Amino acid sequence: MANPLRLYLACIKNTLEAAMCLQNFPCQEVERHNKPEVELKTSPELLLNPVLICLNEAEKCLIETSINSLRISLKVKQADELENILTKKFLRFLSMRAEAFQVLRRKPVQGYDISFLITNYHCEEMQKQKLIDFIVQFMEDIEKEITELKISVNTRGKLVATEFLKQFM
Amino acid sequence: MAYLERSSPTLKETLHKIYRAEKPIEIDQHFYEFGSIQYHIKCSTSDSNIVYVSTSTLLETQGTVTFKEILSHTYEVIKKIAVGVIDIVDPPRLGFQLTLKLHLDNIPRGKEAIKVITRISEIQALILSSQLKEMLKVMNFQDDSQAMNNNRPIRIVYHPSEPFYVFKQPEKLTAVFPMNFTDNSDMVIATSFFQEMEKAPRCNWSPIPPFQLRGEPVQDLTTSSGFVSFDITSRHIEGKSLDKTVWNLLNFYAYVKYHIKCSRGYIQRRMRKRMDSLVKLLINTSLDEEAHQKDGRWKYVKERVKVPTGKLMMKQRCKEITRRVKISKFRIKINGCARFRFNQ
Repeated sequence: MANPLRLYLACIKNTLEAAMCLQNFPCQEVERHNKPEVELKTSPELLLNPVLICLNEAEKCLIETSINSLRISLKVKQADELENILTKKFLRFLSMRAEAFQVLRRKPVQGYDISFLITNYHCEEMQKQKLIDFIVQFMEDIEKEITELKISVNTRGKLVATEFLKQFM
Repeated sequence: MAYLERSSPTLKETLHKIYRAEKPIEIDQHFYEFGSIQYHIKCSTSDSNIVYVSTSTLLETQGTVTFKEILSHTYEVIKKIAVGVIDIVDPPRLGFQLTLKLHLDNIPRGKEAIKVITRISEIQALILSSQLKEMLKVMNFQDDSQAMNNNRPIRIVYHPSEPFYVFKQPEKLTAVFPMNFTDNSDMVIATSFFQEMEKAPRCNWSPIPPFQLRGEPVQDLTTSSGFVSFDITSRHIEGKSLDKTVWNLLNFYAYVKYHIKCSRGYIQRRMRKRMDSLVKLLINTSLDEEAHQKDGRWKYVKERVKVPTGKLMMKQRCKEITRRVKISKFRIKINGCARFRFNQ
Protein backbone atom coordinates (compact mmCIF):
# COMPACT_ATOMS: atom_id res chain seq x y z
CA MET A 1 0.00 0.00 0.00
CA ALA A 2 1.45 3.33 -1.04
CA ASN A 3 2.53 5.67 1.73
CA PRO A 4 -0.34 8.11 2.38
CA LEU A 5 2.11 10.96 2.76
CA ARG A 6 3.58 10.22 -0.67
CA LEU A 7 0.10 10.19 -2.18
CA TYR A 8 -0.75 13.45 -0.42
CA LEU A 9 2.36 15.17 -1.75
CA ALA A 10 1.78 13.76 -5.25
CA CYS A 11 -1.77 15.11 -5.20
CA ILE A 12 -0.53 18.55 -4.16
CA LYS A 13 2.13 18.49 -6.86
CA ASN A 14 -0.36 17.59 -9.59
CA THR A 15 -2.80 20.25 -8.43
CA LEU A 16 -0.06 22.89 -8.43
CA GLU A 17 1.00 21.91 -11.93
CA ALA A 18 -2.53 22.49 -13.10
CA ALA A 19 -3.07 25.64 -11.04
CA MET A 20 0.20 27.40 -11.77
CA CYS A 21 -0.84 28.82 -15.14
CA LEU A 22 -0.57 32.46 -14.33
CA GLN A 23 -0.49 35.45 -16.59
CA ASN A 24 -0.15 39.14 -16.12
CA PHE A 25 -3.52 40.79 -15.49
CA PRO A 26 -3.81 44.46 -14.51
CA CYS A 27 -6.32 45.39 -11.86
CA GLN A 28 -9.84 45.94 -13.19
CA GLU A 29 -10.82 48.24 -10.33
CA VAL A 30 -7.93 50.68 -10.29
CA GLU A 31 -6.06 51.98 -13.33
CA ARG A 32 -2.35 51.21 -13.69
CA HIS A 33 -2.44 48.91 -10.70
CA ASN A 34 -1.46 45.29 -10.78
CA LYS A 35 -2.59 43.30 -7.76
CA PRO A 36 -2.71 39.58 -6.95
CA GLU A 37 -6.39 38.81 -7.52
CA VAL A 38 -6.38 35.84 -5.16
CA GLU A 39 -5.77 38.23 -2.24
CA LEU A 40 -8.35 40.82 -3.21
CA LYS A 41 -11.11 38.48 -4.40
CA THR A 42 -13.05 41.44 -5.84
CA SER A 43 -13.85 39.89 -9.23
CA PRO A 44 -15.27 36.37 -9.04
CA GLU A 45 -14.70 35.78 -12.75
CA LEU A 46 -10.95 35.93 -12.16
CA LEU A 47 -10.95 33.30 -9.43
CA LEU A 48 -10.89 29.56 -9.81
CA ASN A 49 -12.43 27.12 -7.36
CA PRO A 50 -10.20 26.58 -4.30
CA VAL A 51 -8.97 23.05 -3.80
CA LEU A 52 -8.62 21.57 -0.30
CA ILE A 53 -6.40 18.48 -0.03
CA CYS A 54 -6.50 16.72 3.36
CA LEU A 55 -4.15 14.01 4.55
CA ASN A 56 -6.08 13.76 7.83
CA GLU A 57 -7.91 16.10 10.20
CA ALA A 58 -4.69 17.75 11.32
CA GLU A 59 -2.84 18.09 7.99
CA LYS A 60 -4.31 19.83 4.98
CA CYS A 61 -3.42 22.07 2.09
CA LEU A 62 -5.60 24.77 0.56
CA ILE A 63 -4.77 25.90 -2.98
CA GLU A 64 -6.54 29.04 -4.17
CA THR A 65 -5.93 30.17 -7.72
CA SER A 66 -6.71 33.25 -9.71
CA ILE A 67 -5.69 34.57 -13.11
CA ASN A 68 -2.45 36.17 -11.96
CA SER A 69 -1.70 34.64 -8.57
CA LEU A 70 -1.84 31.49 -6.54
CA ARG A 71 -2.06 31.06 -2.77
CA ILE A 72 -1.04 27.85 -1.02
CA SER A 73 -1.85 27.47 2.68
CA LEU A 74 -0.55 24.59 4.76
CA LYS A 75 -1.64 23.15 8.07
CA VAL A 76 1.11 21.06 9.70
CA LYS A 77 0.62 18.11 12.02
CA GLN A 78 0.97 18.94 15.74
CA ALA A 79 0.62 15.84 17.86
CA ASP A 80 1.40 17.29 21.31
CA GLU A 81 2.23 20.49 23.16
CA LEU A 82 5.92 20.36 22.32
CA GLU A 83 5.29 19.90 18.59
CA ASN A 84 2.75 22.68 18.80
CA ILE A 85 5.18 25.24 20.16
CA LEU A 86 8.03 24.06 17.91
CA THR A 87 5.81 24.38 14.82
CA LYS A 88 4.57 27.79 15.87
CA LYS A 89 8.09 29.04 16.62
CA PHE A 90 9.62 27.67 13.43
CA LEU A 91 6.92 28.81 11.03
CA ARG A 92 6.75 32.21 12.63
CA PHE A 93 10.54 32.44 12.29
CA LEU A 94 10.26 31.71 8.56
CA SER A 95 7.29 34.02 8.03
CA MET A 96 9.11 36.93 9.64
CA ARG A 97 11.90 36.40 7.09
CA ALA A 98 9.52 36.16 4.15
CA GLU A 99 11.56 38.61 2.05
CA ALA A 100 14.34 36.04 1.83
CA PHE A 101 11.86 33.54 0.39
CA GLN A 102 9.93 35.91 -1.88
CA VAL A 103 7.06 33.49 -2.39
CA LEU A 104 6.27 33.24 1.34
CA ARG A 105 3.45 35.23 2.89
CA ARG A 106 4.29 37.17 6.09
CA LYS A 107 1.08 36.13 7.75
CA PRO A 108 -0.56 32.75 7.22
CA VAL A 109 -4.18 32.54 6.17
CA GLN A 110 -6.50 32.09 9.13
CA GLY A 111 -6.80 28.47 10.14
CA TYR A 112 -3.45 27.52 8.62
CA ASP A 113 0.16 27.54 9.80
CA ILE A 114 1.96 28.94 6.77
CA SER A 115 1.02 30.42 3.40
CA PHE A 116 2.69 31.05 0.06
CA LEU A 117 1.70 33.67 -2.48
CA ILE A 118 2.97 33.04 -6.00
CA THR A 119 2.34 35.66 -8.66
CA ASN A 120 2.90 35.70 -12.41
CA TYR A 121 6.12 37.64 -11.82
CA HIS A 122 7.54 34.77 -9.80
CA CYS A 123 6.64 32.40 -12.61
CA GLU A 124 8.49 34.61 -15.07
CA GLU A 125 11.62 34.73 -12.94
CA MET A 126 11.62 31.16 -11.71
CA GLN A 127 11.16 27.83 -13.38
CA LYS A 128 7.62 26.59 -12.75
CA GLN A 129 8.53 22.94 -12.26
CA LYS A 130 11.34 23.78 -9.85
CA LEU A 131 9.05 26.11 -7.94
CA ILE A 132 6.53 23.32 -7.49
CA ASP A 133 9.32 20.97 -6.42
CA PHE A 134 10.45 23.61 -3.93
CA ILE A 135 6.97 23.83 -2.36
CA VAL A 136 6.75 20.05 -2.01
CA GLN A 137 10.32 19.85 -0.66
CA PHE A 138 9.49 22.67 1.76
CA MET A 139 6.58 20.68 3.16
CA GLU A 140 8.72 17.59 3.63
CA ASP A 141 11.56 19.57 5.21
CA ILE A 142 9.28 21.34 7.67
CA GLU A 143 7.85 18.11 8.93
CA LYS A 144 11.26 16.48 9.11
CA GLU A 145 12.73 19.48 10.94
CA ILE A 146 9.97 19.61 13.53
CA THR A 147 10.28 15.88 14.21
CA GLU A 148 14.05 16.19 14.55
CA LEU A 149 13.73 19.21 16.82
CA LYS A 150 11.31 17.36 19.06
CA ILE A 151 13.59 14.34 19.30
CA SER A 152 16.61 16.58 19.97
CA VAL A 153 14.84 18.52 22.73
CA ASN A 154 13.67 15.32 24.38
CA THR A 155 17.10 13.68 24.09
CA ARG A 156 18.76 16.78 25.48
CA GLY A 157 16.31 16.85 28.39
CA LYS A 158 17.05 13.19 29.10
CA LEU A 159 20.82 13.77 29.10
CA VAL A 160 20.55 16.83 31.33
CA ALA A 161 18.25 15.01 33.74
CA THR A 162 20.67 12.07 33.87
CA GLU A 163 23.61 14.37 34.60
CA PHE A 164 21.74 16.15 37.37
CA LEU A 165 20.52 12.98 38.99
CA LYS A 166 23.98 11.38 38.76
CA GLN A 167 25.27 14.06 41.08
CA PHE A 168 22.28 13.76 43.31
CA MET A 169 22.27 10.00 43.71
CA MET B 1 20.41 30.95 44.55
CA ALA B 2 20.74 31.14 40.82
CA TYR B 3 24.29 30.20 40.12
CA LEU B 4 25.94 26.86 39.42
CA GLU B 5 29.44 28.02 40.28
CA ARG B 6 30.03 28.31 44.01
CA SER B 7 32.15 31.45 43.88
CA SER B 8 30.68 34.85 43.05
CA PRO B 9 32.37 35.98 39.81
CA THR B 10 32.12 39.73 40.55
CA LEU B 11 33.45 39.39 44.08
CA LYS B 12 36.31 37.19 42.89
CA GLU B 13 37.27 39.61 40.13
CA THR B 14 37.14 42.62 42.47
CA LEU B 15 39.26 40.93 45.13
CA HIS B 16 41.78 39.88 42.51
CA LYS B 17 41.91 43.45 41.23
CA ILE B 18 42.56 44.82 44.71
CA TYR B 19 45.12 42.12 45.50
CA ARG B 20 47.10 42.66 42.29
CA ALA B 21 46.91 46.44 42.21
CA GLU B 22 50.34 48.02 42.20
CA LYS B 23 49.11 51.19 43.87
CA PRO B 24 46.50 51.34 46.64
CA ILE B 25 43.02 51.86 45.20
CA GLU B 26 39.84 53.24 46.70
CA ILE B 27 36.81 50.98 46.28
CA ASP B 28 33.36 51.34 47.72
CA GLN B 29 31.13 49.07 45.63
CA HIS B 30 27.69 47.77 46.18
CA PHE B 31 26.41 45.03 43.87
CA TYR B 32 23.64 42.51 43.63
CA GLU B 33 23.60 39.05 42.22
CA PHE B 34 20.66 37.04 41.02
CA GLY B 35 18.07 39.21 42.71
CA SER B 36 18.52 38.05 46.28
CA ILE B 37 22.22 38.33 47.17
CA GLN B 38 23.92 41.63 47.87
CA TYR B 39 27.55 42.45 48.48
CA HIS B 40 29.45 45.50 49.59
CA ILE B 41 33.22 45.85 49.19
CA LYS B 42 35.17 48.65 50.79
CA CYS B 43 38.85 49.34 50.49
CA SER B 44 40.57 52.62 51.18
CA THR B 45 43.94 54.01 50.09
CA SER B 46 44.91 54.81 53.69
CA ASP B 47 44.87 51.13 54.64
CA SER B 48 45.23 49.20 51.40
CA ASN B 49 45.85 45.83 53.06
CA ILE B 50 42.41 45.71 54.66
CA VAL B 51 39.26 45.00 52.68
CA TYR B 52 35.78 44.89 54.16
CA VAL B 53 33.35 42.54 52.47
CA SER B 54 29.73 42.58 53.59
CA THR B 55 27.10 40.20 52.33
CA SER B 56 23.43 39.61 52.77
CA THR B 57 20.86 37.23 51.38
CA LEU B 58 17.29 36.18 51.82
CA LEU B 59 17.47 33.58 54.54
CA GLU B 60 13.88 32.69 55.28
CA THR B 61 12.53 29.45 56.52
CA GLN B 62 9.13 28.85 58.03
CA GLY B 63 8.06 25.73 59.77
CA THR B 64 9.12 23.44 62.56
CA VAL B 65 12.78 24.26 62.00
CA THR B 66 13.32 27.98 61.62
CA PHE B 67 16.52 29.72 60.72
CA LYS B 68 16.55 33.45 60.21
CA GLU B 69 20.16 34.26 60.98
CA ILE B 70 23.55 32.80 60.26
CA LEU B 71 24.36 29.90 62.59
CA SER B 72 27.29 30.08 64.96
CA HIS B 73 28.64 26.90 63.43
CA THR B 74 28.77 28.71 60.07
CA TYR B 75 30.95 31.45 61.54
CA GLU B 76 33.49 28.82 62.58
CA VAL B 77 33.50 27.35 59.10
CA ILE B 78 33.96 30.80 57.55
CA LYS B 79 36.96 31.57 59.74
CA LYS B 80 38.56 28.29 58.71
CA ILE B 81 38.45 29.28 54.99
CA ALA B 82 41.67 31.19 55.37
CA VAL B 83 43.17 31.29 58.82
CA GLY B 84 44.73 34.66 59.61
CA VAL B 85 43.14 36.31 56.58
CA ILE B 86 39.49 36.52 57.63
CA ASP B 87 38.11 38.26 60.70
CA ILE B 88 34.39 38.48 61.35
CA VAL B 89 33.27 42.00 62.19
CA ASP B 90 30.66 42.23 64.91
CA PRO B 91 28.23 43.92 64.51
CA PRO B 92 28.01 43.61 60.73
CA ARG B 93 27.54 46.63 58.51
CA LEU B 94 24.04 48.11 58.60
CA GLY B 95 21.72 46.29 56.21
CA PHE B 96 23.96 43.22 55.94
CA GLN B 97 24.07 39.90 57.72
CA LEU B 98 27.82 39.38 57.68
CA THR B 99 30.87 41.62 57.41
CA LEU B 100 34.34 40.19 56.92
CA LYS B 101 37.64 41.96 57.41
CA LEU B 102 40.23 40.60 55.01
CA HIS B 103 43.96 41.03 55.66
CA LEU B 104 45.45 40.93 52.19
CA ASP B 105 49.03 40.91 53.40
CA ASN B 106 48.37 37.55 55.12
CA ILE B 107 47.31 35.89 51.89
CA PRO B 108 50.06 33.48 50.73
CA ARG B 109 51.77 34.40 47.47
CA GLY B 110 51.51 32.67 44.11
CA LYS B 111 48.84 30.16 43.15
CA GLU B 112 47.67 29.84 46.76
CA ALA B 113 46.42 33.44 46.59
CA ILE B 114 44.01 32.52 43.78
CA LYS B 115 42.70 29.57 45.78
CA VAL B 116 42.18 31.68 48.91
CA ILE B 117 40.38 34.44 46.99
CA THR B 118 38.18 31.84 45.28
CA ARG B 119 37.27 30.30 48.63
CA ILE B 120 36.44 33.77 50.01
CA SER B 121 34.19 34.40 46.99
CA GLU B 122 32.24 31.26 47.88
CA ILE B 123 31.02 32.86 51.10
CA GLN B 124 27.36 33.03 50.08
CA ALA B 125 27.32 29.42 48.91
CA LEU B 126 28.82 28.46 52.25
CA ILE B 127 26.24 30.37 54.31
CA LEU B 128 23.24 28.99 52.46
CA SER B 129 24.63 25.45 52.23
CA SER B 130 25.45 25.27 55.93
CA GLN B 131 21.97 26.41 56.87
CA LEU B 132 20.30 23.81 54.69
CA LYS B 133 22.74 21.13 55.90
CA GLU B 134 21.82 21.83 59.51
CA MET B 135 18.15 21.74 58.66
CA LEU B 136 18.41 18.41 56.86
CA LYS B 137 20.44 16.87 59.70
CA VAL B 138 17.93 18.03 62.32
CA MET B 139 15.00 16.72 60.33
CA ASN B 140 16.72 13.45 59.56
CA PHE B 141 17.33 12.74 63.21
CA GLN B 142 13.75 13.52 64.17
CA ASP B 143 11.82 10.49 65.31
CA ASP B 144 9.34 9.19 62.71
CA SER B 145 6.43 9.32 65.13
CA GLN B 146 7.35 12.85 66.23
CA ALA B 147 7.59 13.87 62.61
CA MET B 148 4.22 12.33 61.72
CA ASN B 149 2.53 14.25 64.55
CA ASN B 150 4.05 17.50 63.54
CA ASN B 151 4.36 17.06 59.82
CA ARG B 152 4.11 20.62 58.67
CA PRO B 153 6.52 21.15 55.80
CA ILE B 154 9.34 23.68 56.06
CA ARG B 155 9.16 26.45 53.52
CA ILE B 156 12.61 27.61 52.41
CA VAL B 157 12.99 30.86 50.48
CA TYR B 158 16.38 31.82 49.12
CA HIS B 159 14.97 33.76 46.22
CA PRO B 160 11.72 35.75 46.47
CA SER B 161 9.89 33.91 43.70
CA GLU B 162 11.43 30.46 44.20
CA PRO B 163 10.41 28.84 47.44
CA PHE B 164 10.69 25.12 48.00
CA TYR B 165 9.45 22.78 50.69
CA VAL B 166 11.05 20.03 52.73
CA PHE B 167 9.04 17.62 54.87
CA LYS B 168 9.72 14.41 56.70
CA GLN B 169 8.25 11.09 55.71
CA PRO B 170 8.92 7.64 57.13
CA GLU B 171 12.63 6.85 56.54
CA LYS B 172 13.15 9.76 54.16
CA LEU B 173 12.90 13.48 53.59
CA THR B 174 11.15 14.92 50.55
CA ALA B 175 12.05 18.19 48.86
CA VAL B 176 9.29 19.63 46.68
CA PHE B 177 9.88 22.37 44.11
CA PRO B 178 6.85 24.22 42.71
CA MET B 179 7.77 25.16 39.14
CA ASN B 180 6.43 28.33 37.55
CA PHE B 181 7.17 29.82 34.15
CA THR B 182 5.63 32.85 32.50
CA ASP B 183 6.47 31.97 28.90
CA ASN B 184 4.41 29.24 27.27
CA SER B 185 7.31 27.67 25.39
CA ASP B 186 9.44 27.60 28.58
CA MET B 187 6.60 25.80 30.29
CA VAL B 188 6.34 23.15 27.61
CA ILE B 189 10.12 22.54 27.43
CA ALA B 190 10.30 22.35 31.23
CA THR B 191 7.37 19.94 31.44
CA SER B 192 8.96 17.57 28.92
CA PHE B 193 12.22 17.81 30.93
CA PHE B 194 10.44 16.94 34.18
CA GLN B 195 8.71 14.00 32.52
CA GLU B 196 12.17 12.68 31.62
CA MET B 197 13.37 13.21 35.19
CA GLU B 198 10.40 11.33 36.52
CA LYS B 199 11.75 8.11 35.05
CA ALA B 200 14.57 8.11 37.61
CA PRO B 201 14.01 6.53 41.01
CA ARG B 202 13.48 8.89 43.96
CA CYS B 203 12.33 11.64 41.65
CA ASN B 204 8.74 12.48 40.94
CA TRP B 205 6.81 15.02 38.91
CA SER B 206 3.16 15.81 39.37
CA PRO B 207 0.89 18.52 37.97
CA ILE B 208 -0.91 18.74 41.32
CA PRO B 209 0.69 19.54 44.68
CA PRO B 210 1.39 16.68 47.11
CA PHE B 211 -1.19 16.43 49.89
CA GLN B 212 1.50 17.28 52.48
CA LEU B 213 1.47 20.85 51.14
CA ARG B 214 -2.18 21.37 52.01
CA GLY B 215 -2.56 24.60 53.93
CA GLU B 216 0.42 26.33 52.32
CA PRO B 217 0.04 29.73 50.61
CA VAL B 218 -2.06 29.58 47.47
CA GLN B 219 0.46 31.51 45.37
CA ASP B 220 3.01 28.75 45.96
CA LEU B 221 0.59 25.98 45.08
CA THR B 222 -0.55 27.59 41.82
CA THR B 223 2.02 26.62 39.25
CA SER B 224 2.30 26.35 35.49
CA SER B 225 4.62 23.35 35.30
CA GLY B 226 3.72 21.20 38.27
CA PHE B 227 5.76 20.02 41.23
CA VAL B 228 9.08 18.20 41.19
CA SER B 229 9.97 16.22 44.29
CA PHE B 230 13.16 14.47 45.35
CA ASP B 231 13.41 11.83 48.05
CA ILE B 232 16.38 12.30 50.34
CA THR B 233 17.42 9.30 52.38
CA SER B 234 19.99 9.12 55.16
CA ARG B 235 22.53 7.98 52.56
CA HIS B 236 22.35 11.43 50.98
CA ILE B 237 22.89 13.20 54.26
CA GLU B 238 25.82 11.27 55.64
CA GLY B 239 29.41 12.30 55.13
CA LYS B 240 30.52 13.96 51.92
CA SER B 241 27.20 13.32 50.14
CA LEU B 242 25.53 16.00 52.23
CA ASP B 243 27.45 18.81 50.56
CA LYS B 244 26.55 17.52 47.08
CA THR B 245 22.91 16.97 48.00
CA VAL B 246 22.55 20.44 49.46
CA TRP B 247 24.27 22.11 46.49
CA ASN B 248 22.01 20.30 44.03
CA LEU B 249 18.88 21.25 45.94
CA LEU B 250 19.93 24.89 46.16
CA ASN B 251 20.70 25.05 42.44
CA PHE B 252 17.78 23.09 41.05
CA TYR B 253 15.87 26.16 39.85
CA ALA B 254 18.99 27.63 38.26
CA TYR B 255 19.76 24.31 36.57
CA VAL B 256 16.30 24.08 35.04
CA LYS B 257 16.39 27.69 33.80
CA TYR B 258 19.82 27.12 32.30
CA HIS B 259 18.64 23.99 30.51
CA ILE B 260 15.62 25.83 29.08
CA LYS B 261 17.79 28.72 27.90
CA CYS B 262 20.22 26.34 26.18
CA SER B 263 17.35 24.42 24.56
CA ARG B 264 15.91 27.64 23.17
CA GLY B 265 19.31 28.64 21.82
CA TYR B 266 19.67 25.24 20.19
CA ILE B 267 16.23 25.49 18.60
CA GLN B 268 17.08 28.95 17.26
CA ARG B 269 20.35 27.72 15.72
CA ARG B 270 18.63 24.82 14.00
CA MET B 271 15.90 27.05 12.65
CA ARG B 272 18.46 29.41 11.13
CA LYS B 273 20.35 26.52 9.55
CA ARG B 274 17.20 25.06 8.06
CA MET B 275 16.12 28.47 6.77
CA ASP B 276 19.46 28.90 4.99
CA SER B 277 19.11 25.51 3.33
CA LEU B 278 15.55 26.31 2.18
CA VAL B 279 16.61 29.66 0.75
CA LYS B 280 19.44 27.99 -1.19
CA LEU B 281 16.88 25.54 -2.56
CA LEU B 282 14.72 28.43 -3.76
CA ILE B 283 17.64 30.18 -5.42
CA ASN B 284 18.07 27.08 -7.61
CA THR B 285 14.65 27.71 -9.12
CA SER B 286 15.79 30.99 -10.64
CA LEU B 287 15.83 31.13 -14.48
CA ASP B 288 18.96 33.25 -14.66
CA GLU B 289 21.48 31.50 -12.43
CA GLU B 290 24.34 33.86 -13.37
CA ALA B 291 22.61 36.77 -11.69
CA HIS B 292 22.83 34.97 -8.40
CA GLN B 293 26.40 33.78 -8.53
CA LYS B 294 29.28 36.01 -7.67
CA ASP B 295 32.82 34.76 -7.03
CA GLY B 296 31.45 31.25 -6.60
CA ARG B 297 29.06 32.26 -3.78
CA TRP B 298 25.24 32.24 -3.94
CA LYS B 299 23.44 35.52 -3.36
CA TYR B 300 20.00 35.86 -1.86
CA VAL B 301 17.08 36.20 -4.24
CA LYS B 302 16.44 39.83 -3.25
CA GLU B 303 19.72 40.79 -4.97
CA ARG B 304 18.71 39.18 -8.25
CA VAL B 305 18.68 42.45 -10.20
CA LYS B 306 22.31 42.83 -11.21
CA VAL B 307 23.57 45.77 -13.24
CA PRO B 308 25.94 44.37 -15.89
CA THR B 309 29.41 45.98 -16.16
CA GLY B 310 32.26 46.05 -18.66
CA LYS B 311 32.27 43.54 -21.54
CA LEU B 312 28.91 42.13 -20.58
CA MET B 313 27.37 45.58 -20.83
CA MET B 314 28.91 46.19 -24.28
CA LYS B 315 27.64 42.84 -25.53
CA GLN B 316 24.14 43.56 -24.29
CA ARG B 317 24.16 47.00 -25.91
CA CYS B 318 25.26 45.56 -29.27
CA LYS B 319 22.52 42.97 -29.05
CA GLU B 320 19.98 45.66 -28.31
CA ILE B 321 21.11 47.85 -31.25
CA THR B 322 21.09 44.88 -33.63
CA ARG B 323 17.60 43.99 -32.55
CA ARG B 324 16.34 47.53 -33.09
CA VAL B 325 17.90 47.80 -36.53
CA LYS B 326 16.40 44.48 -37.52
CA ILE B 327 12.90 45.41 -36.55
CA SER B 328 13.05 48.82 -38.20
CA LYS B 329 11.83 48.56 -41.77
CA PHE B 330 14.89 49.39 -43.89
CA ARG B 331 14.16 49.04 -47.60
CA ILE B 332 17.70 49.92 -48.68
CA LYS B 333 20.06 46.96 -48.96
CA ILE B 334 23.60 47.75 -47.92
CA ASN B 335 26.39 45.32 -48.80
CA GLY B 336 28.13 43.96 -45.78
CA CYS B 337 25.17 44.60 -43.44
CA ALA B 338 23.44 41.31 -44.07
CA ARG B 339 23.39 40.49 -40.38
CA PHE B 340 21.02 43.41 -39.77
CA ARG B 341 18.42 42.11 -42.20
CA PHE B 342 15.65 39.68 -41.45
CA ASN B 343 15.28 36.75 -43.82
CA GLN B 344 18.92 36.93 -44.97
